[in-house]
Amino acid sequence: MKLRRKLFSSKYPYDCTKSELFLGACRENFDHLITHCKDYSKICRGLGITSSEDISKVEDIPVIPTMLMKQHDFRAGRYMVMATSSGTSGKMSRVRFEFGALWSALKMSLKVTRYHGIISMRPCRYIVMGYKPHRSNKTAVAKTAYLTTFLAPALSRKFILKHTPDGYKPDFESIVEALKKYEKGKAPVRFMGFPSYTFFLFRILEEKGLSFKLPKGSKIMLGGGWKQFYQEAADKETFYKLAKKTLDIEEENIVEFYGAVEHPILYTSCPAHHFHVPVYSNIVIRDPVSLEPLEKGQTGLVNLISPLCKATPILSIMTDDLGILHDGATCPCGVKSPYLEIIGRVAPDDIKTCAAGAADIIKGVKV
Amino acid sequence: MILFDGKTYESSEQDRLLTELKNKIPVILSGKQLSPEMVVDAVDILREDLLKGKFDELLTSFPKDVVATYKKQAEALLSKEHLHKKIATELGDTEEYITDPMDGFSQILVKKMPLGVLFHIAAGNMDFLPAYSLAEGLMTGNINILKLPSADNGLSLKLIMQLIEYRPELKDYIYVFDTASTDIQGMRKMAELSNAISVWGSDMAIEAVRGLAPTGVKIIEWGQKLGFCYISRLDEVKDAKEELEGLAKHIATTKQLLCSSCQVIYLDTENPDELRSFAVRFLPLLEKAANENASEEIGVLARDTLISYTQRLKGYLGEEEKQENVLRGRGVSLILSSDSVLELSPMMCNVLIKPLPRAKAGEVLYESRYHLQTAGLICPDEDRGSLADLFTRCGIIRVTKGSDMSAYFPGECHDGEYALSRYVRIVNVEK
Repeated sequence: MKLRRKLFSSKYPYDCTKSELFLGACRENFDHLITHCKDYSKICRGLGITSSEDISKVEDIPVIPTMLMKQHDFRAGRYMVMATSSGTSGKMSRVRFEFGALWSALKMSLKVTRYHGIISMRPCRYIVMGYKPHRSNKTAVAKTAYLTTFLAPALSRKFILKHTPDGYKPDFESIVEALKKYEKGKAPVRFMGFPSYTFFLFRILEEKGLSFKLPKGSKIMLGGGWKQFYQEAADKETFYKLAKKTLDIEEENIVEFYGAVEHPILYTSCPAHHFHVPVYSNIVIRDPVSLEPLEKGQTGLVNLISPLCKATPILSIMTDDLGILHDGATCPCGVKSPYLEIIGRVAPDDIKTCAAGAADIIKGVKV
Repeated sequence: MILFDGKTYESSEQDRLLTELKNKIPVILSGKQLSPEMVVDAVDILREDLLKGKFDELLTSFPKDVVATYKKQAEALLSKEHLHKKIATELGDTEEYITDPMDGFSQILVKKMPLGVLFHIAAGNMDFLPAYSLAEGLMTGNINILKLPSADNGLSLKLIMQLIEYRPELKDYIYVFDTASTDIQGMRKMAELSNAISVWGSDMAIEAVRGLAPTGVKIIEWGQKLGFCYISRLDEVKDAKEELEGLAKHIATTKQLLCSSCQVIYLDTENPDELRSFAVRFLPLLEKAANENASEEIGVLARDTLISYTQRLKGYLGEEEKQENVLRGRGVSLILSSDSVLELSPMMCNVLIKPLPRAKAGEVLYESRYHLQTAGLICPDEDRGSLADLFTRCGIIRVTKGSDMSAYFPGECHDGEYALSRYVRIVNVEK
């Protein structure tokens, strides 16, 4: 995995001159996967790609939909850590990482967060708008949200989702209490987690007529997907306004992350709120009917490519997100790599079919 | 949301309500019996209101032409006249009678009675199915517990509540729960209250229900089926082009999601060249039909593409050696195969094309005996009778035209039986 090491050691996270190295690292990853993952090799053979010589551009790499990963557990040798997607109705992807992948991910995270000024030595207080870590929770969202609380020394950590005997429950009251306390202190406050909960918190604060002046340097970091929130996502302006009104946090201190357990690359929004594609990955937007690659500016299925991991075949995966890839040169932030705009999701995949086995009925019932 | 005793409750009250229901059932059963006439009346008023546009707001999520078709079907199928005919066809003689005297034996009164409590586990692949299944249970006088499919959009509950509004006496016979499919305890409790479980779904779903049902409960299965279209001597078929266009339209409109949908097109031949030349001829027709019936919504298009792509990759995972020979068009594909196995296609306008000489039909159909239902026929008129005979002898339930594989025919049975007759029992009382 020489080329992977080289790629993830790139000094500038948005270097646009590394496309040859990127393709090389992908081919190297492909050669490993096809010889170490039987199921992956079956699929590649079916699609007519049998060796890295068949791959002349990243679009040629066989694409595995996350929909399939939720139904089939791919294994490709030894691993150190396993993460799962949040998964509704019991369906979730399992992604395994070997040491080299974790090491590469760490290098990437440090470079990207440093570039965006998220790494800081100034101690702060964290409010995680997500899961409190619990041994029963293996979701990547919980893990990454927790890891984010190490990007600056933590004075304290509060979690909005508490594990109760009835599952996870949001606890807005205790967050409001904490904010009252933090407002008087000097340490900046960092919010991390689901946009939806953060938005609801703003709404609750607004309804109650509460507003806080949080210490300077406070940030809101959003990740874990907007999920059922797309209808309202158009209203990001409102989100920024409410952040200012209720917590006194400026728009430029709101950072968004995008990623998926099947594609653990850290996409971080620039000051213009764009997700530029870092050097560690490529994005292909595909036609929603023919799956052929589309030109920039067109809406289609989002195909994410990265040679990060070799313990699971996540080299090229297809999410169920719909998005547009824009030309980066137009972004005022100065980063030249293209940026991804997420438009929404495909219609729910819980379509029923009696012919196919109306799997929903008692999925997961083992009696 | 739960509908219990004509009132709605939060889902969290399920446990308490099921305990209450256990005490309620014996009281209802020992009281009077529900008359089918009351149910027919309520359904007929529902039909009137539907045609007047009372539920239009609920139907806005469906495409306009689909709503028009539904209304047209409802106008005919939910009418008093049709319901009476349905009861007569499906239950036969509902009047009680006394057997003829016979020396040395007592005479008995024979009559049809409801099973008691019916637990419906409805699938979500057909709109209105949950409400329809419940109405069938009511028409046979049963107390009905209905578990809604997870994707139900509230339409079923609304329609059922309407029935109670028209005829409040029905409330004792209707209990609707939105239990999650993973709530095994809840489902087991419902099963334990029942005399019979009517389950719609896959082999897996049915197996799971068999597992959770107490011994002795009658399981009424409406299982997963596979449909195919059989094409013989196409060159001699009158209006062959129209017939093929009809089949293409059937595939495009059902997206191959129904039990009766065409998964495989069989050609009466052993010659692979004939398969290919048929595919070349059929591809543009299928492509045209798919484009005409395609959703314009990008989210739906993308979902359908993802599903069929995922299904295709799953095929590679399952059968490593299988050589695929595929003709692809925009949003459709024809998969040529050398075997004759009746199997599920990748759906969404991705159709399997296989050889099946008439002489081998028996062997192939016997292999699929648990999943047989509909065979569409495209053949010269003089062959129709013999092919229909052959297929029905080998286990097929419905023989239709290629274009009508998923059509509804008044008076038809479902999977070889009349639903209503499965929801009653025959009792004898010595005179």
